[in-house]
This record gives sequence, structure tokens and C-alpha cells, in this order.
Amino acid sequence: MTERIDPVTLGILWDRLISITNEIVETLVRTSFSSIVRESYDLAVVLFDARGRSLAQGTFCQPVFIGTGPQTMKHVLRYFPPESFGEGDVVITNDVYMGTGHLWDVNLVRPVFRKGRIVGYALTISHLPDIGGRGMSAVNQDIHDEGLQIPLLKLVKAGTLNRELVDLIRKNVRVSEQVIGDILANVTATEVGGRLLLDFMDEYRLEDLAPLADAIVSQSERAMREQIAAIPDGSYRNAIKIEGLDGPIDLACRIDVAGDRLHVDYAGTGPQIRAGINVPLCYTRAMTCFALKCLVLPNIPNNEGSVNPIELSAPDGSILNCRPPAASAARMLVGHFVVPMIFGALADALPHRVQGDPGMMNVLNVVGRRRDGEPFSTLFFSSGGFGALAGLDGMSATPAPANMMCMPAEAWEPMTGMRVIRRNFRIDSGGAGEFRGGLGQEIELRNDTGHPLTVMILGSRTEFPARGMRGAGNGMARVFRINGQPVHAKGRYELQVGDTLLLEDSGAGGYGNPRARAPERIASDLAEGLVSPEAALRDYGFDVRRGRAAAE
Amino acid sequence: MTYRMGVDIGGTFTDFALIDDTTGELTIHKQLTTPADPSEAVLDGVATLLKRRAVAPAQLGAVIHGSTLVTNAIIERKGAVTGMLVTKGFRDVLDIAMERRYDLYDLTIRFPTPIVARRRRRQIDERLDFSGAVLQPLDAGEVERAAAELVEQEGVRALAICFLHSFVNAGHEEQAREIVARRYPELYVSTSADVFPYAREYERWNTTAMNAFVQPVADRYLGNLEGGLQRLGVKGPLYIMTSSGGTVTTATAKRYPVRMLESGPAAGVLMSAHHGRTLGLSNILSYDMGGTTAKGAIVRGGQPHKTYEIEVARIHHFKEGSGLPAKVPVLDMIEIGSGGGSIAELDDRGVIRVGPQSAGADPGPACYGRGGKRPTLTDADLLLGYLDPDFFLGGKMKLDRAAAETALELGLAKALGVDVTRAAWGIHEVINEDVARAFRVHASEKGFDYRGCSMIAFGGSGPMHALRIARKLRIPRVVLPTGAGVMSAFGMLVSPLSFQIARSNRVGYAELPRERFAELFAGLTREAAAFLLRAGVPQPEIRVTRRLDMRYRGQGYEIEVELPDELDLSAAFERLPQLFGESYARIFSLSYLQEPLEIVNWKVEVQGPTPAMSQHFHLALEHQVGAPEKGRRQAYFPEAGGYVATPVYDRYALRPEVTIGGPALIEENESTCVVGVGDQVTVDAAGNLVTEIAQEQVREAAA
Repeated sequence: MTERIDPVTLGILWDRLISITNEIVETLVRTSFSSIVRESYDLAVVLFDARGRSLAQGTFCQPVFIGTGPQTMKHVLRYFPPESFGEGDVVITNDVYMGTGHLWDVNLVRPVFRKGRIVGYALTISHLPDIGGRGMSAVNQDIHDEGLQIPLLKLVKAGTLNRELVDLIRKNVRVSEQVIGDILANVTATEVGGRLLLDFMDEYRLEDLAPLADAIVSQSERAMREQIAAIPDGSYRNAIKIEGLDGPIDLACRIDVAGDRLHVDYAGTGPQIRAGINVPLCYTRAMTCFALKCLVLPNIPNNEGSVNPIELSAPDGSILNCRPPAASAARMLVGHFVVPMIFGALADALPHRVQGDPGMMNVLNVVGRRRDGEPFSTLFFSSGGFGALAGLDGMSATPAPANMMCMPAEAWEPMTGMRVIRRNFRIDSGGAGEFRGGLGQEIELRNDTGHPLTVMILGSRTEFPARGMRGAGNGMARVFRINGQPVHAKGRYELQVGDTLLLEDSGAGGYGNPRARAPERIASDLAEGLVSPEAALRDYGFDVRRGRAAAE
Repeated sequence: MTYRMGVDIGGTFTDFALIDDTTGELTIHKQLTTPADPSEAVLDGVATLLKRRAVAPAQLGAVIHGSTLVTNAIIERKGAVTGMLVTKGFRDVLDIAMERRYDLYDLTIRFPTPIVARRRRRQIDERLDFSGAVLQPLDAGEVERAAAELVEQEGVRALAICFLHSFVNAGHEEQAREIVARRYPELYVSTSADVFPYAREYERWNTTAMNAFVQPVADRYLGNLEGGLQRLGVKGPLYIMTSSGGTVTTATAKRYPVRMLESGPAAGVLMSAHHGRTLGLSNILSYDMGGTTAKGAIVRGGQPHKTYEIEVARIHHFKEGSGLPAKVPVLDMIEIGSGGGSIAELDDRGVIRVGPQSAGADPGPACYGRGGKRPTLTDADLLLGYLDPDFFLGGKMKLDRAAAETALELGLAKALGVDVTRAAWGIHEVINEDVARAFRVHASEKGFDYRGCSMIAFGGSGPMHALRIARKLRIPRVVLPTGAGVMSAFGMLVSPLSFQIARSNRVGYAELPRERFAELFAGLTREAAAFLLRAGVPQPEIRVTRRLDMRYRGQGYEIEVELPDELDLSAAFERLPQLFGESYARIFSLSYLQEPLEIVNWKVEVQGPTPAMSQHFHLALEHQVGAPEKGRRQAYFPEAGGYVATPVYDRYALRPEVTIGGPALIEENESTCVVGVGDQVTVDAAGNLVTEIAQEQVREAAA
């Protein structure tokens, strides 16, 4: 392979590397035990060259890891210079600042040896079902409540598993077979990754991956910079309020665009709090990069070239750049809002790209016993609406900015013994607009397990609804009720036998002036029952009997 | 009654293959599809071909038919006005779907509009729990009222009845069916437990809704066809090809039309497997590439891999997840959005991407000279010398070389800073890499080691790429079968009558009594075999295959375990942990877990005898041929240093045992085989081209 890779060959090698990472992802998913990994793809796989520059990353990994993986690799190289690694070593950490921002994600890195020297690294990340402590909840006060912290350590040395470390982890977690099984799945996945990387080098006769990494990173970075340069120069601001545990939290951003450079600063954002919703900077960076990539260059593959051009700063000790011993289990409850905040800031600069605020996803962490007495601890995901865009109504019940899959009633009921009484669209919940926001859903669950159970709610948007973009209306706010009484979106509750939990998921914000909505779209919404006649009259001035503009 | 005919309807052509089962002589025929009423072309073609071979209609023992009718009805939404009765509280299951974005960054992704409009879904008061116990009895009055509204106000002609947990207890769905049938006997009704008794409401209900949606269309079409064949004087039965590679009677096809999805491609895979068996090759990659898509499948031990998942009608750049999932028994195929018409462009990274956008037939590739300006794979293959501008489709169409050159120059080469030849080779190689990559991933998912297996390639564009793809995969042998242009119609001639039933029933292995295991399988087998018995297959000739989806308790992924034929159920039950361990190790190359095992799904397949097709079937020669070598032309082979004067052969003139060394081009009407440097082609007795890929060349596969 010559120094410069010609463009035809580059495309072929690049696509092959992405395919390899996808293959490693599949291995990880299929060998993992926790439903979190398989239902929500809460994992990542990244391949690096010998200098720790990322070559490729799995296509379906969670957006958060796009930003964190390359940073984690840099920490690994700082602690473990190449000469300290031997063949068959694997390091592990769940450090929230070096890793992904909360303890539940383990990061494993394996150096890949060829002819006695390191030619690259394979990194995998996955979300464990448990990490000890008081469980994944927003109400923990600092990180010591949250569980076991694993600093950067060798989990495998020269092919031999570090049993002491495994025993230590096993002793500290619930459902330990699943946790250890998932960690070993990561070990296997890094091994598969290393093997595939070596096959790849053999097949294409590559002695060194550095020229390929150079080309991939620089070409991605160039493409990203071209798109940034297309944004009009200027300073763009946005500030939003979101609900915390004791009162609202302020988030603020300023985006400075100058030529092909872009800087996001989060000055004006409120301080970290004593609850598990603080965000380490690595996660803030990840969400920032995700938002910008969606706006300017959604189709470029994940690698650090696509995030290098984005500079970032956030006040020390703020909720978007927390300091130890901050708790951060549910960092997504704050971190996810970075995405709509950035969209809002760039609404005037990129009017045809931005989207109404999403209704966001909701997570219920449910712990109890089934009818047969077997214990369970699992997550119930559900989605609010997806924001409307110029030209497109928002999709209903669609996750954003994270991604996951819903739990069918026919899977949830036997798994827990809870009953799903209903799961339907929440009519009129989508924000009115020339393009309507997606609808949320109404989900009612009843404790039919025969035992009391605990629900930890990890929700948002009960006080501050999803905002419409460019003159559109807001989505309906989320509501939680137990036996008809409203409860807190981040609370922990006992459900007695026969108690019901009602979740009314939030609709998304619309896009553009509702009065400009095409009458046939309004008529179709009415016919399908997504918008009520009253709302059509109130929001759109559309009278069902007389048609458009009766109220104007 | 010594003849049988296979008929495959494709987008452009309807293909016919007539076999004389006594002599093994095959005759093929092609004519344009008649989209308005596809049965027209079928009946016309059957008559034409019979007449051409002077075969009396009464001598036709059977007509086996596959059609894109159902796929097209779903893609084009040309089914019946369909209504749905669902469990109260679950009206929006079809819209809520999976709640998963199939692209993380693209904010403009869309999901397909549900098959049944929301206003035609009615909620019925009834409820079962997950064990099948009745929590709320069915409200019969509500069923009657809902059906009346749907039929009389909404004009519904087909109805899907979908209740929660019906795969455990179908009682409520059956009651509702009876109530509706009493009042509206002419209404088409599908129930979810009958169509697909699997857990997970979205997939089951969506499959059922599709079944209902196409039922009236399929019923009318199959009725026309049966009537038409009778009028022609055909006495033998009409069998319908399904997506699983088996055939069913028309009665079964009318009840489960959703099982006809993608039956044409399935027949092609089946024919690959048949060729493999004839040639003594048991592990095969079947590769089919046409104008817009390429399809691949794995054949292991002579059997194509089967699954229960297919996605149809993708609406967003062919992306997986952008279509409608159907749970029906299918041959497991990979589909890649690349074919001759695929457009090449630079993606956001600045590297070449080919497809999934296609120039289609109109305007088509730039070289068609019909106004297409963007470079396509066909343009690249023309510039590389693989296609003859004067012998495209057997000379029926002239290709414009200059137009292809301009399209590549302006559309690609200029932006990349390379010459046109390099760009053309880039397009050709990107496709080869795309297909090779898709095979690698698929094989790895299935735990299939393709090195050492053979490839069987067909379709209009397949033979042009197959040998080079095989090199990349280090596959030593490629077979280009005779009559590859009508592979699916052939496949129908080797397809047995068969039926599959799958049922969800989650149970721990340790808690399952041996007798219960046998009972459950016996029940499913009886149910499935009834379909074959009704079709006249004698009981002793029915072959049963039993499979289980199993997993470690707590693990999310099921692994399919096939029970060996030679074991009785009791012995198989004993061996289950071992069988599971072997399957697990094959896919994950490890098995270290001590967790308890769980059975999730139970699957039974029954098969009648495979039609006895002569091992030595051969194409009837209906026209004169000249010399084998037609001449030479400049074609591009990087290992030979670029363009070289390459001999061009007429495939129809090649006699058995002829050997040709690459570089060479072998032309037939529908396709051209590109033989690389060092590859050796031998013509076998049946006229198949069997190519040995030079092993030392295999590692030259890099771009």
C-alpha cells in the first residue's frame, strides 16, 4: 500500500471497515444477556489505528458513543503506553469521565498485535443491567450511591481472565450472571474485532493502518468543515428550562460559527445538583456532536473526523460539565435536551433542517416479583412524538434523540406479570403547525403480579413541553398518574397489587404557522382521528362542517 | 401426462419453462408481463409454448406458478378496502410499530403508512392474559356492530381479526370470525392466530392485515387462472409457489396469500440448490443479480436456509427498517440495492457509491441513449469492454459508448481526479465489494463458512461479476447454470408441495415433561400434514422437519435448532441441550454458559416428494449456432495490465467438455460471463459453465 490511497480504493477499504464493526456489533448483541443491549442497542464498537485514531464505528451504535469512544481511547493510551501492553490484554473501565458519563456502561479496549507489534485497537462499550449501589434512579445524591466504580484496569492479561477483578464485580452487583455474562460478551467481541482487523490487513496487504486512518479522518473532517462553512457566520443562542428534582434547571448555549470553525459554549447553564441527572462533559460533547451531525451531514459514517471540527466549552461544575462526586445515572434526562436546544439556536441559520422539539423517550425502571415469585428488574421504554420538519409531519411514538425498541404487550406481560391495559395514541398531543408534531401515546399498566412492586420513573417534559419551531405550537406535556393521582416524573414509587400507572407521553413540537397547514392534511388528521374537531377549530381555524377558516 | 410447466411472473417478463419428464428436455419461453391482468400473459404463454412444442394441453401434468402479484399489491397498495377488529386499548399497534428509528442521524426518515387505515380499526371489548385465560369475555354485540359499520359505511371487503395473546388461545378470534361470517358470508376474514401464531403483537397483526388486504385480489386472480387453464384444456392441477420454496394448492394460497411474497426469487434459490445436488455440491452461495437488485442466499448441506422474516415495500432508500415486516416462512435471502441500472455517484465522504438509486428501464443507463445522464453500472461494464454495444440482449438493442463515457467523465471521474477507465473499474469493483461484503455478513450471522463452498450465479448481471466476487470471498468454484435467464421458472419445476407451521410457546426445558414435548410436536405435525393430505399427498410420502427456537433463559436471541431426522422425538428430547450447544457454538464459536435452556418457538415443516426431475435435463436447441469463438474485443483486466484483446465465445455453441482459460468473455442472450486471468471454465454435460477460480489469484482481489 502506498502512502496516499487513491479515492476508489479508499471507498472500498472504508466500507469494509464499517462492515467489520457492524459484524462485531452483531456478535456483541447476540451474546449479551441484558435486554437493554438487544432492545436499545445501548452499545458501541470502534476500531482504531496504532495511534488511537478511529477508523470506523458500528452504524447502529447509540449516538452518545460517537463522541465518547475516541476520548476513551486517548485516556487508555495515556494510562497504558504501547510498551505496557502484551498480546491478549484487555483493559476495562466504567469511569464516568473517561467513559460515557455513567457507571452502567463498561468500556473494554484490546490492543491488536501483528508480527509482535500493535497495529490497532478494538473498543467495545455496553450498558450493563446492574452496577450495584441503589439502582439506576434519579434520586441518588452522589456517585457513591450509584454503584461500583472500575478505574482503568487490565481485565485480561495475556489471554488470562483476571479472576480477582471478576469476583470483585460479581460480589457488588445484582443479577450477577447477567452482568458477568455481558462483560464476557464484550471480551469476546474485542477478540472477534481484533481477528477481523487482522484478516482485513492480510486480505488487502496492509502493513500499517495509519495511512488509511489519515485518509478516513481527514476526508470526514473536510466534508464536515465544508458543511459548517455553509452555515452563515454568526453567533447563535438559545436558552431553555427543563425540570429537575427541586425546581427548574437552566440550560443555555451559544454557537459561534466562523468559516469552517464551530464552537459551542454552554455558559449560562445552571450548576450541578445532588441528584442522578448531572452530565459529565464527555456526554455533553457526544450530544452536541450528534445534534450537529444530524443538521449538517447526517450520512457521513461515524468517526472522529466528523467530530473534530466541533469545539466545545461548558462551565466547570455546571450540570453539563459536572465534577466528582456528582451522580449521573440518568444523565440523559438533562443531556438529551442539548439536542433540541442546539436545533433551536440554529433555527434561523438552518431553517429547512431544524425540527420541532421531540417529546423524548420515557423509561420506567420496574423491580418486583412475577406471579410465580421469580424476581425481575427491567426497563419499560416508550416514546413521545418526533418533531415536525419543514415539509414533514412528525412521526408519532418515535424515539429521539436516543433510539430503542418498544416492548410488546405480549412480551412485557409474561416477563413481569404486569398487565398493559391500553397503549394508544394520545389524541391532540402533537403540536399544531403547518407541519404537525408527532403524537405521544397513553399507556396504562396495572400491577397484576400479586406482589407490591417498585417503579423508578425516569421521565421529563411534565412541566416544559416540546416547543414548536418557527411559529408552530407546542406538544402536550407528559403526565404520570398512579391510581389517577399525578406523580413526579423522576420519582420512586411503590405500586400495590391492583394499582395502575398511567403514562401520557408527550407530543412533539410542530413546524411553521398552523394557519398555513394544507386543508387536506387537516381533513386527513380528522378522518384518522389524530386531531379532534375541537382542536382543529382552535388550532387551525378549521370547522369540520364548513371547512377552512370559519373562525377567522 | 408427461409434461410440467413452471411460470414465473416478473416485473417486465413472464418466464415459462416446459419440461418433458420422460426425456428431460426443457423448452423456455418469455413474453411481456401484462400488468393490468397478469393472468392474460400467463394463459397466452402457456398456449403458445404448448403449441410450439406440439404438446396437447391434456398432456400437461401440472402448472407451477409464482407471481409478484402479492408483493406488488402491497407495494402499490392495490389490495382491498380492509378493516380490522382489535383488542380494546390497542387500536394503534400498526402505527406504533417497533418504535425504533432505522437511521440515527437522518431526521427525514419515514415509516410506511399502515396497511389498514386507523379509521377502519375497531376496538372490541375482550381480553386474555398471557396464559390464555379469559379476563374479559368477547362482547359479541360489539363485534357485530363494528363489522356492520365497517362493511356498510366504510365499504370494507376484507377483515383482519387481531386479539392479544391469541396465539395461546384462539377462542375469541374464532368466535368473532363466526359472528362476522354469519352476517357477512362474502367477507374475506383473516385471524391472527391462523395466519401466524407467534408472540409479539405488531408483527403478527401486521402480517394478518397484509394477508387480509391481498386476499380478495389473490382470490380473483387465482380463480381466473384456474378457469383459464381449464378452458385451454389443461387437466392437471395448478400449484402455487410460496416464499418458502415449497408449493401449495390454490385453496391454501387463497387462504394465506401473504405466503406468496417474493416467491420468484425463492424459486431461483431452490434451483441453485437443485443444481448443487446434481453437481454434488452441498454448500453453496446462490447469487442472482438483475437490473435493480441483487439477491443472495446460503445453501447448506443441500438445503437453503429458512427463516420467518421478510420486509416488504421499503420506502426510504431501500433501508432495512423502512418497510413492513411480514412473518411468513421464507428462504433466507439478502437483498442488495444494486444491479445494472444502479446509479454511481460520490457520497458525502467523497467516495464512490453505487445504488440503491436506479436509472430503471426509463431513461435507463446513459448508454441506452434514452436521455439518461448519470453513470450506471451498465455504463461502466460497457466501457470496460464486458458488454458488446452491438450484442446487448442478443443484439436487440444498441448501446451508445460515447454517452456512457460522457456520463462517467462528468458524473464521477472529474470529481475524483481520475481517468474514465479508473472510474469505470471503481464502479465495477464497488459492486463486487458490496455483494461480497453482504455475503460475508450474512454468512457470519448464520455461522456458515463459505470458503471452500461453491457459488451459483444467474440473472442478467450476475455472470459479469460472479467470478470476481468469488475471488474476494476465496471461493474456488463458480457455476453458471444453463438457462440462467429463467432460473425461477425452472425452480418451480423442482419445488415440492409443502407447508410450514410455527407457534410460540415459551417453556423451560427443565420444566417440560417428555410426553408434553412429543404431544406438542404431534399436534403441529397433524395440523401441517392436513394441508398435504388434502392436496392428495399420501401420508407415507410426507417428510417432516422439526425445528425449535431456543435460548439461554434471560438471553434475548434465539437460536434455531433442527431436530435430526434419524432421531425419534424421545431421543431428540434427550439430546436437546447438546443440539443447542452445537448450534450455539457454530454461531458464536463459544459455549461457556451454565444457564437453563428455554424453548420459545416450535416449527414444523411437512414436504411432499420432490418432483422427479431428470438429472440430465437439457435445453432444447431451437436455432442454429455458428463457431464457438465469435471474435475478440478490448476488455479490461487489471491482472493483465489493462485493456487486452479478449476472445469472445458464443455460449450456445460451446460443446460439453470444452475448456476456456481467462481472460475471456462468454456471451448469451441475457448475459455475459467475464472470465478473469487464470480462471478455467469447463462446459459440463448439461451445458453449465463450471469455473475454477485460480487460487493464487485469489489474493489479488484487492482494488
